[in-house]
Amino acid sequence: MSPRPGFDPASLISGLIVILFGGLLLLDQADVLELRFEYLLPAAFAAVGGILLACGLTGPPRGRS
Amino acid sequence: MTDTQQTPPQPDEPPRRLTRSSTDSVIGGVAGGLGRHLNIDPLAIRITFVILSFAGGLGLIAYLLCLAFIPIDDPNAAPIRWGLARTAGVVLITIAALVVVLPHWFWGPAVPLLVVAGVVVYLLLRIVRDDGGTHLSHVAARIAIGIVLLALAVGGFAAAAAGAALGGGIVVAGLVIACGVGLVGGAFRGGARWLIAPALVLALPLGAVAATDLDLRGTWGDRTFHPVSVAELADGYEMGVGSMKLDLRDVDLPAGSTDLRVEMGMGEIQLLVPDDLCVTTDAEIGVGVVNTGGGDEGGVDVDVEDRQTVDSGVRHLHVIADVGVGAVQVGDRFFDWDGPRDWRGDRFDSLETGTSRAACTETA
Repeated sequence: MSPRPGFDPASLISGLIVILFGGLLLLDQADVLELRFEYLLPAAFAAVGGILLACGLTGPPRGRS
Repeated sequence: MTDTQQTPPQPDEPPRRLTRSSTDSVIGGVAGGLGRHLNIDPLAIRITFVILSFAGGLGLIAYLLCLAFIPIDDPNAAPIRWGLARTAGVVLITIAALVVVLPHWFWGPAVPLLVVAGVVVYLLLRIVRDDGGTHLSHVAARIAIGIVLLALAVGGFAAAAAGAALGGGIVVAGLVIACGVGLVGGAFRGGARWLIAPALVLALPLGAVAATDLDLRGTWGDRTFHPVSVAELADGYEMGVGSMKLDLRDVDLPAGSTDLRVEMGMGEIQLLVPDDLCVTTDAEIGVGVVNTGGGDEGGVDVDVEDRQTVDSGVRHLHVIADVGVGAVQVGDRFFDWDGPRDWRGDRFDSLETGTSRAACTETA
């Protein structure tokens, strides 16, 4: 089964990761929770690593359908 | 048998004379003439003149001297066009305005930045003017694009960090989420991976600001507070960036516990307390050092909680310090034994704790 043309899973995964990370930062800025380096550093590494992994595993985008 | 063609002997070429160019001219043809004479791109010479103009007006003076002393290559051309006088006038007024309005920038270390900017502008203009087919243009294009992208990333990092630290963190976080939504939406339309870069450029500095709890709102600069009575003592002191020196030696606190909150976004707080006053300190620092008399404690996410036993009835000051990036120092005397008895201007006067710790266990 070939992936749908025009669909880029790397963008989807990266977007979800960015939304999660941005949501975490938003909660901190809204004083709902207090982020510290001990939590934020691994979260940032995981986010960037996840994005790189998603882009690396899915290959280049297939373009518009 | 073929005839061999021999190159006829060339007559001695007269030495090239330095002249201003009448054909490659923006103002007076100085750069065009210099470029032709030195076999250098006139654009590079023009940019050099502009850069040197910001180094104390050197470029402008050099240009005017060249304009005055280098003849034009066309004897029939008008020596000076009205456009030259007009342009020179505008440039002179602009430089004069810069000197008056932004003297520190004008005479400061901006020249290296201008040189870099000049190189980038030259490379970009080179690309625009070139047909793009030469190896040099390809190299220039890559260097220019790399520098521009790097500058954009650095500028974006700085802007996001500054925006977050100045109270716009929620907006920056919203932009990050918007990038994420754009990525998800773009995934079904062929991909929108280019949004990853702005998302990270916004998110990473915001994360650093969030982790350090950096808040640059408030006063900037070096401030010394010296209340001389309890009435003058504020509930708290807050600054954005700089150095806060708080001298409480003349404040006669009443018996019992008094809380004092001191906050700094980025910088140092020095708190000088009376040596007969019991002082305890709780400090929270994102990145930096705290010293409340027990030596330096530094690093990331520094939390210092004072466990000093305080007898009831003693005069007790409880300091609650919050610093994003910087240092907190609490002491009852200056470190130098033979040093001054008061602050020395803008110098960092190291403090230490003598007897104020012992005052916590002496019943009043």
